[in-house]
Amino acid sequence: MKRAKPLSDYLVALADDELILGHRDSEWTGHAPILEEDIAFANFALDEIGHARLWYELAADELGADRSRFPDQQVYFRPAPDWRCLQLVELPKGDWAFSMLRQYLFDSFEKFRLEGLVASSNKPMADVAARIRNEELYHQRHTQAWVPRLGQGTDESHRRMQAALDELWPYAQALSAPLPGELELIGVVPKSSELFEKWKDEVTKFLSKSSLEIPITTTRVDVDRAVHSEYFPALIADLQEVAQADPQAQW
Amino acid sequence: MSDTQWPRFMVFQQEAEAKPFVHNGTVHAPDIEMALLNARDVFARRPQAVAMWVVPADSIFTQTREELAKGLSQKSSDHPINGLTDYFVFGKFEEQAQCRHIGEVEASSPPEAIQAAIKKYGDQNPLWWWVFPKADVLTSQPQDASPMFEPSRAKTFKDQAEYPVVTMMREIRAKKK
Repeated sequence: MKRAKPLSDYLVALADDELILGHRDSEWTGHAPILEEDIAFANFALDEIGHARLWYELAADELGADRSRFPDQQVYFRPAPDWRCLQLVELPKGDWAFSMLRQYLFDSFEKFRLEGLVASSNKPMADVAARIRNEELYHQRHTQAWVPRLGQGTDESHRRMQAALDELWPYAQALSAPLPGELELIGVVPKSSELFEKWKDEVTKFLSKSSLEIPITTTRVDVDRAVHSEYFPALIADLQEVAQADPQAQW
Repeated sequence: MSDTQWPRFMVFQQEAEAKPFVHNGTVHAPDIEMALLNARDVFARRPQAVAMWVVPADSIFTQTREELAKGLSQKSSDHPINGLTDYFVFGKFEEQAQCRHIGEVEASSPPEAIQAAIKKYGDQNPLWWWVFPKADVLTSQPQDASPMFEPSRAKTFKDQAEYPVVTMMREIRAKKK
């Protein structure tokens, strides 16, 4: 398929990851194991959804669309098959170990990608990346603090973390695949395959230090972002239900 | 005790470089490093901050003006500290106000630290004195300030007062009549 707009495709994929991860994080609101972490996860959710907005707005500029309306159109009115997020972020929130570890794995990768984007020759993209990166540094500190505490905490916390890693690891392998448009943007955006090697090296060491064992992946997860998990249609239905019930509503 | 809660930590926040640290509230956390992170999430999203301290709630020793006037003092042995150490001194000046940073003293126990504080800062005459060992505090580092406190400044949010709910409800009720 020939891509007429590789940059906007790339930006929408970035935004989709953030939006769906933020949505999953928001499902912890009122349900986290302790009040402080409930607030922390609500913050993560708001931050990720805020980052999604920034990327959607840049995509709108690239497409000549209205940047004040484009994010809502994409999020509330786009059919599930048209989304380009990773299956990693679509998975249900699971237990708290699962959500914490997913956040750690995703944010660790994002840190490397943002480093690359901050240095991009595309100035608007570099500026947005710098803004997002500052906040992500804090996310990473928070999740990085939890991984060893849970990995080495009690038998139960270790068991839950290892189970989360066993389930997440095959899905995380899809981070190595190029984003839509990426191959047409060589020199403007970092190569996912190279980021993946740096990421894998860092998280492998950190997880081992946290007494967690890297699983030998046997499950093959589709790396094509047009292919979604079985959980995705229900997530989108939930996300879009209210907006679609009354598309003209003013908020 | 069957208390399964995590330990409590007191949170102190500095709004701007030139302003004193003020007590902002409490967080639960499994340890002091997590307490600092939880403090950021709970207290620094809306109000501005440039720095934050957390200290175990158990490290704080307090005396009221009344207690001191009656000569009541807790035993030093409740708070064993080996040798002279530095204490932070905080004071609460009005019932509704937050406890704020006054200064520092050197002492060998919390009650002695209160006495030293009265000697040094007694003219300020707070309603409550708080003292705690400097060594028990975890402070945010200057390099943390940007990722911890900067992003909240760029976030737009509506103050609760901006939602015209009360006016709207009144209009709806008026229509019903």
